[in-house]
Amino acid sequence: MTTKRVLLLLGVISAVLLIVGFVVGAVGSRMFGIGDSFLSQPGIHLPPDPVFPASVREDAVGYRVAEKKTEDKAHGEKESHHGLGLMQFAVTNTMLSAWLTSVIMLVFFIGGAGRPKLVPTRLQALVEMLFELVLNFASSILGPEMGRRAFPVVATIFFFVLFNAWIAIFLIPIYQAVGFGANVGGEFKLATHLVRPAGTDLNMPLALALVSFLFVEYWGFRAHGFGYLKKFFAFGDILRGRPSGLINVFVGLLELVSELVRIVSFTFRLFGNMTAGEILVIMITFLVPFVATQFVFGLELLVGLIQSVIFAGLTLVFLSVAVSHEEH
Amino acid sequence: MVELGLNVPSLISYLVNYVILLVLLAALAYRPLLNALDNRVESIRESLAAADRAREEAATSRSAIEEELNEARREGQRLLDQAREASERYREEEMARARQSAEEFTQRAQADIARERDAAINEVRAAFGDLAITAAERIIRRTVDRQTHQELIDQVLVEGEQALRRN
Repeated sequence: MTTKRVLLLLGVISAVLLIVGFVVGAVGSRMFGIGDSFLSQPGIHLPPDPVFPASVREDAVGYRVAEKKTEDKAHGEKESHHGLGLMQFAVTNTMLSAWLTSVIMLVFFIGGAGRPKLVPTRLQALVEMLFELVLNFASSILGPEMGRRAFPVVATIFFFVLFNAWIAIFLIPIYQAVGFGANVGGEFKLATHLVRPAGTDLNMPLALALVSFLFVEYWGFRAHGFGYLKKFFAFGDILRGRPSGLINVFVGLLELVSELVRIVSFTFRLFGNMTAGEILVIMITFLVPFVATQFVFGLELLVGLIQSVIFAGLTLVFLSVAVSHEEH
Repeated sequence: MVELGLNVPSLISYLVNYVILLVLLAALAYRPLLNALDNRVESIRESLAAADRAREEAATSRSAIEEELNEARREGQRLLDQAREASERYREEEMARARQSAEEFTQRAQADIARERDAAINEVRAAFGDLAITAAERIIRRTVDRQTHQELIDQVLVEGEQALRRN
């Protein structure tokens, strides 16, 4: 069978699945009045679900089942919090996803770069290409020497965000299908997913934002010593009796606020994009199952790449500003 | 924030996860590969420099070889010219010598012939003088008739001829 025929066959199958998906999905089933949709309405929960220890998970599942019954009775009722407390420890499904991503990253990168050869293998060539992309990116912003120094931290952030996003997309059938069930209204349903993309957990972007913040501030202090603080607390002119120094004080405070706000912006940019992506995939799968989701997958691959570039790029830019010797 | 899922143990867990990942990747992936890339860059730079050196050396030795070849060619031509000149000179000398030798030989031969002829003439002359004297002596001593006279002359002629043959 020629490639053309295979592609034609796949195209026909995709078109059929698209039509069937549209008919049996939430939109088609309501439009044509053929009863319940192929997939039940997914629940959107922003906090990650605890999976271990079992007692915490069962608490969360029990809470959700009860909540589901309440929602069934009164649609549109505001969702109440049922996740972990601020200081409560549990292994969450997003944490498992991050660990899985970390293991895959370690296997991939150490396998490709652990014992480098002068004539590279295919895996080594791929890893070299990825490293050089990030290294050149860092060097283009910070210069060769500083780019090399910043490379490990920035590359780890970049690849962690990218791998988390992409692995979640490639493994989404497993992510969506594997979990812990519960009896909801006499029917056994999936109540908690075993793994969920780590980017959808606020704590993961926040952790990376803190790493980025601490890294930038560390290099700021290393480059300028305690003089780095003058950027934020510019009282020099005021103490010398110059009234115009008030402007500097105000600008310094603005700098301080913007420095701290970066943590928030870093966190919510990644969290928002990853969560929105997951919700989009789930909702499209619910509305038009089967192949329509493929278009969203493509979009999400791009979003994952963009977010990782933005996270790494902004860290590099902030680092460049922090270590530059311009007068602030 | 707790409604969004903020959880301090999770945050710490992600930070620890990141640090472990960073340390492991830095030690086992970033450093070895970046060092290997540096080594490769250095090796390529050295290879290119060596190739340039080799190219320059090749160009230098090619010009040296060409120069040597030209020198050898010139030397060969010079030797050939010398040999040609020497052979020409030798040929002319030998020709002159041969010509001179032939002339000398001819002159000697002519001198010998002239001498031999003169000697022969002198000898004949002397022999005939002797014969005439002998014949006259005999004529004077004996009175002979015509026939005896003739016989005496014949005898003298025969003797003279014999004497000539002997000489």
